[in-house]
Amino acid sequence: MSQEPGENGATDGTSAVTEVGVSSVPVAVATPDILISGMNSALRRLPTPEPSAAKLLDSVGYVPSWKPFWPKVRTFGLTFPAGMEFLPPKEEKPAPADLVAIAPKQKKEVPEGEAPKKPTRIKPPADALSLEDRLFYVLQPPLESWLRGQELIMPFEPFQYQYEGIAWLFAQKCALLADEMGLGKTMQTITALRLLLRSGQVRRVLMVCPKPLIPNWQREFKTWAEEIPVTTIEGDGPRRNMIWRMPGSFVLLANYELVVRDFQQMMLENRGGTLGGKADIVGDVDGLGRRRQVSIGGDENPGPPLPKFDLVVLDEAQRIKNREGLTATIIREIPRRRSLCLTGTPIENRPEEMVSLFEFMGVVPPNANPDIRQLSSLSREYILRRTKDLVMKDMPPRLDRDEYIELGPAQRIAYDQAEKDGIMHLNEMGEQINIQNVFELVLRLKQISNYDPLTQESAKLERLCADMEEISASGGKAILFSQWTKTIDWIAERTKDYGRLVYHGGVPAKQREPILDKFKNDPKSHLLLMSYGTGAVGLNLQFAGYVFLFDRWWNPAVEDQAINRAHRIGCKSQVIVSKFICTDTIEERIDKVLNEKREMFRRVLGEGDNENAQLSMNAGEIFGLFDLKARNKAGGAKKIGPKVA
Amino acid sequence: MASSGQKFHLGFLSVVELPSAGYVGGLLVTNQLGRPLEFQCTTPVRPNRTQEILYGPTLRPFLLADLIGKTLFERLTVKPTAILVGDADFLALRPHLTAPVAVVCDKESSQTSMKLGQQWLRFHDEHVDADRAAMKEAGSIIVADCDLREPIDRIREALEETLKAGAAA
Repeated sequence: MSQEPGENGATDGTSAVTEVGVSSVPVAVATPDILISGMNSALRRLPTPEPSAAKLLDSVGYVPSWKPFWPKVRTFGLTFPAGMEFLPPKEEKPAPADLVAIAPKQKKEVPEGEAPKKPTRIKPPADALSLEDRLFYVLQPPLESWLRGQELIMPFEPFQYQYEGIAWLFAQKCALLADEMGLGKTMQTITALRLLLRSGQVRRVLMVCPKPLIPNWQREFKTWAEEIPVTTIEGDGPRRNMIWRMPGSFVLLANYELVVRDFQQMMLENRGGTLGGKADIVGDVDGLGRRRQVSIGGDENPGPPLPKFDLVVLDEAQRIKNREGLTATIIREIPRRRSLCLTGTPIENRPEEMVSLFEFMGVVPPNANPDIRQLSSLSREYILRRTKDLVMKDMPPRLDRDEYIELGPAQRIAYDQAEKDGIMHLNEMGEQINIQNVFELVLRLKQISNYDPLTQESAKLERLCADMEEISASGGKAILFSQWTKTIDWIAERTKDYGRLVYHGGVPAKQREPILDKFKNDPKSHLLLMSYGTGAVGLNLQFAGYVFLFDRWWNPAVEDQAINRAHRIGCKSQVIVSKFICTDTIEERIDKVLNEKREMFRRVLGEGDNENAQLSMNAGEIFGLFDLKARNKAGGAKKIGPKVA
Repeated sequence: MASSGQKFHLGFLSVVELPSAGYVGGLLVTNQLGRPLEFQCTTPVRPNRTQEILYGPTLRPFLLADLIGKTLFERLTVKPTAILVGDADFLALRPHLTAPVAVVCDKESSQTSMKLGQQWLRFHDEHVDADRAAMKEAGSIIVADCDLREPIDRIREALEETLKAGAAA
């Protein structure tokens, strides 16, 4: 066996080892250093550094930030007519030199500018669907601040229910105001009209009423809207035609007969043709622009157009209750944007009459026949009716109204003649004249003011009947006073329709109590005719809601006594007192004197009981009713009258 | 509201806050008698969650004044002489305008308040003197029993109408 030389080269082959002896020999093993660069110091090969460029950061990294972003705020705007005048003028860019205008510049019409308890807000009408229309009403100030003397002078403050009525009328395009008689339909209408004119919603208005009520409307306008010029349609044909077509008039006042006659004529001129039945004159569209179901041929070259109105108001609107009648047909043809009906009759009890009014108002199509249910629904939306008992808390217990009435033509002739003859006779009497003579003339003129003895014409009776129609339809009761039993009997003959009863000195005593009982208990008795002299003690008629003073007594205290039979201070029911005064007559002059006296006593004595005060006219005042003169010896004229003490 | 003959236009600014839709603002310009001349209102402005968090307590004044109030004022064609508001957060609008802005208060809230009509006006702290001087003219025109809160109620009602119209559409 040979042995490989060991590491030291020595060999020892001489001994065979059969046992290996183990012994540890410390061996020092060196641990190589690891340099900081990571190089192992045991390595003998030197590294070869190779340079490389390190990319430095030149911009700061960022996280996407939040910027405040708001979507564009969109707006909706509405400029009111009153604000138009404050709009800044538009700057017109000059047209380029090489372009030529081919149409005239259109001027924008700037409407006339400014042309203000629990406040009454104006609510938008139910059929105002567009937002602008609804906002127009919602943004108006409360009615109280609008009417409170800042912008519109009101002679008296309206009652709360009247505020509500005015606000309702202002917002309605078509309406039927059916308040009970005496609650102020006229005043509410006129005030609503003022607001409509002021807010620029209407420019031209037509008021149609029965002829005897024309003076009444004229006076009411003077009282409640003195700034509104009112033109009455009167005079001959050419003059009326000129007034109809006159631009710039705000309110035209006309009676039904004139309107029908003139519009009939104008419609004929407009369509051509001759005066025939109504079918010849009505057009294919009515006054509200609604097309008729039946087409009626027209002239190819129409004449002058009909006068247009922003608002047509019908007083005593039951005048057009007959849908097929000429009056209703012509009235429906009047071109208009808004329609308003006034009536004191409880129209809801008369369906067929309601349809005619609704057709005028435009809430029922032409020739339509709505059933009761539809009429009820329309009534709730378009009719406003308040009765005295509902609004009593808002009203004073007694309301006095002066009803000014124009004499009829025959009455006027009779009155003027009697006055002229009477004054001439008194003048001729000269110094012989005494109070009794003047008194007789006054009485005679007062009697003619009641009715003309020759023709029996009576403007007062016409008014009474119109009022009684409303009162009896509502189930109310009225007392009428006159100083003459002859007048009472005359009226009795002509008011049978109202279940009238007569109570004066000429009635036998035994019959008086049953008469009063019947008046109280019989639902068909609506009118009691009494004389001032019938001053029975204990007479209690507090259930009568209306009192008419057909002619006036000399002493207001006597009138008050008469009225107090129907009303006493503190009683629960409310009384409306109507005093008939004929215009341009002795009655008006007497009324003026008595009012001045009453006012003077009130100022001196206060509001107390003036029954004992000398409120009646003295001799000087009676003489003063006429401008009496007598010829003196020198041939001139001197005033005659009682000597001053 | 005031005596006629003298012209003084007032702007009334208000906002309606809806939980679901956000804020809707309205600005009504009236004449010295309270009659409306112009009305502008916004569509609903609704901040998202991020905006609510980041704006924090400044969100409401920012929305009312910078966003809604400023936009409405710029849209007006009939510019008011002064703006009256019911919400104090609208006062932040004042630096953006030259017209006075005042909060309508029921009682005197500071020494710098000014009586107008039935209410008291409080102005932006940095513009008190100038705004008081500007509103002096109003004091002679607006009557003592004028209720300055009433037009603000009108705006709320009008905004409710616009929201109803929007919902119906």
